[in-house]
Amino acid sequence: MLTIEKLSVSYGSVRALTDVDLEIRGDGLLHGIIGPNGAGKSTLLDAICGRRRPTSGRVRYCGEDITRHSVSWRRRQGMARSFQRTSIFQDLTVHEQLQLVAQHLGDGRVGDVIEVMDLGGYLDQKAGRIAYGVQRRVDVALALIGRPRLLLMDEPGAGLSATETLRLFEHVRDLVRERRIAAVVVEHDVEAVFACCGMVTVLDLGRHLATGTPEAIRADHRVVAAYLGTAA
Amino acid sequence: MTDDFHASATATFGGSTSRLSLAIVVGLIGLGAGAVVPTWLASDFVLRLGSEGLLLGLLALSVAFLMNQAGLVALGVASIYGGAGYLFAIGMSDWGLTPTAALCVAFLILLVYATMLGALIVRTKPLAFMMLTLAAGEMISHAVLLEGLRDYTGGADGLVVRTNGAVLGIDAARFADPAQFWSLAWGVSVLIGLALWAIARSRLGAVLRAIRENEERMRFSGFNTFLPRLIGYVLVNIVAAIAGFLHVLNAGFVSPESLGLFVSTNTLVAALIGGISGSLGPILGGLIFSFAQDEFGARGLTQLLTGVAIVVFIVVFPRGVVGGLSGLSKRLGWRREAS
Repeated sequence: MLTIEKLSVSYGSVRALTDVDLEIRGDGLLHGIIGPNGAGKSTLLDAICGRRRPTSGRVRYCGEDITRHSVSWRRRQGMARSFQRTSIFQDLTVHEQLQLVAQHLGDGRVGDVIEVMDLGGYLDQKAGRIAYGVQRRVDVALALIGRPRLLLMDEPGAGLSATETLRLFEHVRDLVRERRIAAVVVEHDVEAVFACCGMVTVLDLGRHLATGTPEAIRADHRVVAAYLGTAA
Repeated sequence: MTDDFHASATATFGGSTSRLSLAIVVGLIGLGAGAVVPTWLASDFVLRLGSEGLLLGLLALSVAFLMNQAGLVALGVASIYGGAGYLFAIGMSDWGLTPTAALCVAFLILLVYATMLGALIVRTKPLAFMMLTLAAGEMISHAVLLEGLRDYTGGADGLVVRTNGAVLGIDAARFADPAQFWSLAWGVSVLIGLALWAIARSRLGAVLRAIRENEERMRFSGFNTFLPRLIGYVLVNIVAAIAGFLHVLNAGFVSPESLGLFVSTNTLVAALIGGISGSLGPILGGLIFSFAQDEFGARGLTQLLTGVAIVVFIVVFPRGVVGGLSGLSKRLGWRREAS
């Protein structure tokens, strides 16, 4: 589904990612990306979705090199993303914003997204006036419209309690499994990642450290030394 | 759930039929009464002032539409407003075109100019956009004063526009008659007001507002964020051009002042006085501004009193006169319901 080849991204003289290789499968597994602050997790998502141009390397999506394609082109091809900072339309009602995007992407089954993200009780409320946890769900719901084939989520649990984060992850895991799509989630809450993701990648200082099942990652001494520590 | 969602979606985006019908009825009554009644009651002088107010209101309407829908402030509308008059005059006197042909050619040139300028500037941030529209407007207002163009533009003296025959099937003499011009300007203002009101409630309006609020999310939702803003920008320039054509047909001359920053800032002030959130506010703002300027001018204190009035209006009516009155009526209605 998604292949990252030797991807490097620099911010001026600072290298945020260096020669990262990664393969994301589209078989209904949630793929978690973890790592310490500054590891390059969000930068990797930015480069995949076109928000930031890589310095070198390629992004292949369904076999096609999409490194130079625009954000909106990628979205129309089924690559959707949610943001670390909630990125919704604060002045529109939940219903208006979901409908606006659904009409544009020709998705006639928005009701499914509303049901999965449990937003039925908030449709007529302005998004800026609902609880933060619900806003996070609206953010993910906007990404789910148009039945994306690849879902990228940047810290969907940011600002949520551990219980809310786990619940959100379970919602997303079930959806990804049911639709058999690919999903990449960057998250600081390691327990939520290990509980819900079928595959985990660890980045450290902009480099790929390890990829494997949650059990394999927990047991990887390099990951323990760089990120998890003895508590894991 | 899906059916419920689509039913409510239709109610929201498909447009409320009853509200639309009401708007059409109100529009038709306003169109008829406003066009005729003042010509019975008011003197030629008052009608002239009112017509100037309507033209300023049309300009304010264009600026307010872009502010409200796209969050962009255009400070260069005067270049289109005055440019329409210059191109129309040059088309007739130098290119030997009939009035209707001169008007059509001038309109096409302005359309191309607005599209090209818009393509360059609508991607920029709101502050940069405002400064770029100001810069483009100032360039044009100074270009007409260039010595090399004096034969075409008349330099600082401007151009006298002699329109013989008919323009778009309307006898040119009718544009000079205060009562007939008032009716025409009123009709055009109401129609453009209704058109912009309908556009604001259309899908284009919804997309523009969503881009204004969160452009990045719109791009990540698969929207092209450039084209809707370009369409919005060209649209408001079309309105400014129509106001410019009406002005030159009525006044019979065009001067560098009509292109200047003064007209653009007056337009912005008129929009803020009336309120930018609908079509009625800017038109009302134009009328208030025009009559107030005359009153202040009669006292010989135009700038001083205008400044004081702007401060008072903006403090008392931060959402404009129409916004303030609408808020007041809602509060009164709520109190009546509560009691």
